Amino acid sequence: MLLIECPWCGPRAETEFSYGGEAGIERPADPYALSDAEWADYLFFRSNPRGAHRELWNHAQGCRRWFGVERDTVSYRIEKSYRLGSAGSGRPAAAQIEASEEKRR
Amino acid sequence: MAAAQPNRLPSGGRIDRSRPLAFSFDGKACEGFAGDTLASALMAGGVSLVGRSFKLRRPRGIVGSGAEEPNAIMQIGEGAAAQPNLPATQVELRGGLTARATRGWPAARFDIGAINDVFGRVLGAGFYYKTFMWPRSWWKHYEHGIRKSAGFGQAPDGPDPDRYEHMNTHCDVLVAGGGAAGLMAAMTAAKSGARVILADEQNEFGGSLLASAASIDGVPAADWVAAAVAELQGLEDCVLLPSSTVFGYHDHNFLTIAQRCAGPTGSSDGGAVRERLWRVRARQVVLAQGSLERPLAFCNNDRPGVMLASAVSVYVERYAVLPGRRAVVFTNNDSAYRAAISLAGAGAEVAAIVDSRPGGGGELGVRAQALGIPVLAGHVVSDVAGRRRVTGASIARWSGDSWGAVRSTIRMDCDLVAVSGGWSPAVHLHSQAGGRLAWDESRLCFLPAEARQAHVSAGAGNGKWSLGECLADGLRAGAEAVSRLGLKTAAIRAPETSPDAGENPIEPLWRVPAARDADRCPRQFIDFQNDTTVADIRLAAREGYRNVEHVKRYTALGFGTDQGKLGNINGMAVLADVLGKTIPEVGTTTFRPAYTPVSFGVCAGESVGELYDPVRTTAIHQWHEAAGAPMETVGQWRRPWYFPRNGEDLHAAVARECLAVRNSLGVMDASTLGKIDACGPDVVEFLERIYTHNVGRMKVGRCAYGVIPGEDGMLKDDGVMARTGERRFYLTTTTGGAAAVLDWMEKWLQTEWPELEVYLTSLTDHYSTIAAAGPNSRRLLEKLGCDIPLDKERFPFMTVKPAELAGMRVMLFRVSFSGELAFEINIDSNNAPAMWRKIMEAGAEFDIAPYGTETMHVLRAEKGFIIAGQDTDGSVTPVDLGMNWLLSKEKDFLGKRSLQRPDCLREDRKQWVGLLSQDGRTVLPEGTQLIGDNGKAAKMCGHVTSSYFSACLGHPIALGLVAGGRQRKGETIYAAQAGRDPLPVQIVSPVFYDPRGKRQHV
Amino acid sequence: MSETSSPLPGVEISVRSGRGFLNLRLNPRRGQALEAAERILGQPVPPAANTFTAGEHEIYWLGPDEWLIATAAERVLSLGSELAEGLAGFHSAVNDVSGGHVELLVSGVDARTVLTKGCTLDLHPREFAPGQCAQTGLGRAAVLLAAGDPSIYTIVVRRSVSDYLCSWLANAARPHGARFPAR
Ligand SMILES: [Zn+2]
Repeated sequence: MLLIECPWCGPRAETEFSYGGEAGIERPADPYALSDAEWADYLFFRSNPRGAHRELWNHAQGCRRWFGVERDTVSYRIEKSYRLGSAGSGRPAAAQIEASEEKRR
Repeated sequence: MAAAQPNRLPSGGRIDRSRPLAFSFDGKACEGFAGDTLASALMAGGVSLVGRSFKLRRPRGIVGSGAEEPNAIMQIGEGAAAQPNLPATQVELRGGLTARATRGWPAARFDIGAINDVFGRVLGAGFYYKTFMWPRSWWKHYEHGIRKSAGFGQAPDGPDPDRYEHMNTHCDVLVAGGGAAGLMAAMTAAKSGARVILADEQNEFGGSLLASAASIDGVPAADWVAAAVAELQGLEDCVLLPSSTVFGYHDHNFLTIAQRCAGPTGSSDGGAVRERLWRVRARQVVLAQGSLERPLAFCNNDRPGVMLASAVSVYVERYAVLPGRRAVVFTNNDSAYRAAISLAGAGAEVAAIVDSRPGGGGELGVRAQALGIPVLAGHVVSDVAGRRRVTGASIARWSGDSWGAVRSTIRMDCDLVAVSGGWSPAVHLHSQAGGRLAWDESRLCFLPAEARQAHVSAGAGNGKWSLGECLADGLRAGAEAVSRLGLKTAAIRAPETSPDAGENPIEPLWRVPAARDADRCPRQFIDFQNDTTVADIRLAAREGYRNVEHVKRYTALGFGTDQGKLGNINGMAVLADVLGKTIPEVGTTTFRPAYTPVSFGVCAGESVGELYDPVRTTAIHQWHEAAGAPMETVGQWRRPWYFPRNGEDLHAAVARECLAVRNSLGVMDASTLGKIDACGPDVVEFLERIYTHNVGRMKVGRCAYGVIPGEDGMLKDDGVMARTGERRFYLTTTTGGAAAVLDWMEKWLQTEWPELEVYLTSLTDHYSTIAAAGPNSRRLLEKLGCDIPLDKERFPFMTVKPAELAGMRVMLFRVSFSGELAFEINIDSNNAPAMWRKIMEAGAEFDIAPYGTETMHVLRAEKGFIIAGQDTDGSVTPVDLGMNWLLSKEKDFLGKRSLQRPDCLREDRKQWVGLLSQDGRTVLPEGTQLIGDNGKAAKMCGHVTSSYFSACLGHPIALGLVAGGRQRKGETIYAAQAGRDPLPVQIVSPVFYDPRGKRQHV
Repeated sequence: MSETSSPLPGVEISVRSGRGFLNLRLNPRRGQALEAAERILGQPVPPAANTFTAGEHEIYWLGPDEWLIATAAERVLSLGSELAEGLAGFHSAVNDVSGGHVELLVSGVDARTVLTKGCTLDLHPREFAPGQCAQTGLGRAAVLLAAGDPSIYTIVVRRSVSDYLCSWLANAARPHGARFPAR
């Protein structure tokens, strides 16, 4: 069972969270400008990397916040978790990443 | 006593001779002492045959003294409290315990399956695959016989009456293993201020020290252990868990420990816990589980009386049991000399120490010889005689330089062969945690190498064989864990021990060559539990299996309940030899939890019966129960299914309830609907994006039916939403969709549109919802006393108003899920039972009928209203459902773009339609496949999603998804029926009743 | 549920009746919304995650812009409208959720042990000290758990799962000689 650090509540057991898929996928500003293939790519295709993976988690049983996690899909090590920026699409707030990295040092 | 326990030594051991315990084995009365394991008690009682082997039915005896035991596998207890497949070496003896050998049906002493041994030549590796799998259809005949003769234990014959529980805990340092190294590590960590858990699989801490003659700090080792344990017990935040096996090392330093607390209590209301699962999140872990002794492979090395040398010492020193009267000790290393010394000290005769090394042992060899024990250096045991018990050993000169045949042998009478092939650190947890292993050429074992999680290995588990090394290594590991925590290590010194005996190095010997060809000689066992022999592994290699994981699966090496604790390394060595590789090149198989078998009971813990899953009930639930309503499970909710009167069945009750709503008045508890308050300056913009209809056009006080598609265009959920303020909406969801819809909305708000200012609050539990439906519903409300006018002009269909009803504050909705005049009363759940009672009282004059989920389903089906999740399955768009009228052309919404994908525009998509059985009486089973013609070609074109008998219409109605269905109204298609001809059905409109929708508007 | 005659049960469980609840949403970093709320409530609205303040009411942190106010049932109506009025100028939400919650008290020397059986939080008093709260799981239910004085815990649970949770607690407490008055 993973131990996931909610950027608000601190480390909690995985059972308190729900998974939200890959983070940082930009929603097209104008979906209608996209071809069907491009739209399908946005909608259905994910990178599924071996190694570092940015993903969204929701502290469902806690503060109900969505946040970002960088997790290694091989070792399951969580490199960092971060609050989301105001830019949307699950992109991290740069300042938050720095703060989280600061904390780890 | 002497008669009952002929092999019990007159003194010594850690047993309590004042507490004799009676137990039974295979139906025979036996006796042991408190402090015994079942294995030591059996051995004291002279039981040498404890089971039959898996495949060949060979007689087997006790080999080990702990988790490694492959043969003495027992069925403990009877009936519902029975526990199958426990190693006798890990069962603490209790008075009244009943044990049966699981391997040796019908009894270990007489086994009809022993014939397999005679024909065993054909039962080689892969035998089951090769023989029993063909012909495939015969497998079911073989299976019964195999399972029975395989002799696994039997499952309990009823629900387990005992109590199991879970304990979630956290610590700074978890120490797995309470031997010399573990005790030192725990002491170091605890004294440095860390929160420590020390777990050991035995009922006493101390590990091998409990059977050791060594002294520590000038006192006997066992006394040092007692003092250390007492000191740890006195420390704050130090938890000691005896009889507790750390069996799993999972991600993020999460470990699982199974603790054996009590025997079966047989009573579920007692407080005693039989087993406890500790779920531990440890910041640091010290792995000190020690090491496992390896046997050596020689002909007939599975005969009862062939034992691990270390186990012999344990039985003599710890349990005061003499495993044999005349022993041969066979070894390739110094440790077995201790067994010889123990045996001699206990009065047994040691015929010889047979040491494969030309130089024999070190200091211990000198000591043994001083005791008059002959040492045969440069010799090996090549075979043993005897079937149900060893009667002698064949001993041959050994040059050590080849796998050549061993010819001239001498025979030595004995009833015990104590074997040591060296030691393998118990690296299981290290490896489960993702840690690497490294082969150590001088110690001849895999040692824990780089760790991937926060753990450190210590003691024998780290390749430190001597007591002095173990204590020092435990101290080092404890200090390392403490320093990683950022704590200051308390000043602790390593205890003084008698200097370690100088040892001669171990020699690489895994298997003794036989006088005959390796594949024709008597069997040389590698895995006792699965009857895997040297020949089997060689056969696998000859047949092309090169990968150790494949060889494992082909030969069943390591697949038993002991998971190959004795055989795996030897098996790899044999494989390496035949492949011409080194052992590290062959590599190990994967170590997975659990280290030792774990009961289902302890896995389940308290999550059984009514606590298996939370049951959610509405505030009015008690009334429903008192009314005798059968309950339907909807997600976690319990909802009344129907309310039978005078012994009605489902059909009769539902027919009556439906007619009551259509003709007079019905009332339903709809409290399970999801309810969300949405408010904020951007709430309209937000909901425009989530819902498909024009939210902004809704006036305050208006309700609308809304659907929520996913971004793929498929319907997710639906429900009525109401505008309760300029910047405020009250959203309802389906019962099952409540949490998912709130999550969906929050995800978009938080991740994609954080600029939108909207707050969402769940009101699902706060509000109870009571739906009053039927032509008399308005009169009911008026009778209850309502402070707002209820006529259709001032409170029209699809509006909402706060009101006071029967003296209570409510949110009153004029909405309908039945097509009748109806009101939904949303009320603080604290007041809901009172409101319900008042409604039942006031409704009596209208013969009010409370109705359940079944009637609700029929009523909505008559009206062609969907149930999301029943009529839809994640592949159905609002267009498929005929809801084009709900899709705004003036705005974008989630899913709109996807509705333009070519697949969503296909003319032949399955569309939702009504279906009428042409025989006028068949209620089609939900899920029925629909086919295009009467069955010859059987082209499937859809399926039934909802189907009921409509009492109000007097015939069955069904709803379903049919390819291109909307254009095919009036067509006849066919419903496949099991065992009968397809039934013709007609495609019709999904609205069966009041198609103009006049009734709900009155 | 077995009753024990032991005079000193290790744990006692009770349902606190007469309680009312308000859910409060506001952005504490925007304008003076927080201060306005605090003026009306007469006590601090805790800004720190996983903490609560106790005064006339208990105010529990639920999220960075969400709090649960537990108070006497008869106070809810007036307090709710005062808050709604006082916060009208701010992006905020005040909802009466009195019908949606049940408050339980678990106390006694074994209270922590009983909770440990179903909660993955570290409840060691050093880690979960008086004044701290957390939304977490207990058994298989989602709860708000708060540490009061040593060995007194408050649990706020959704009304619909409260029967389940009470059964769960009664079962977990049984080996500790629980007292569990009938509800
Ligand atoms: Zn959180």
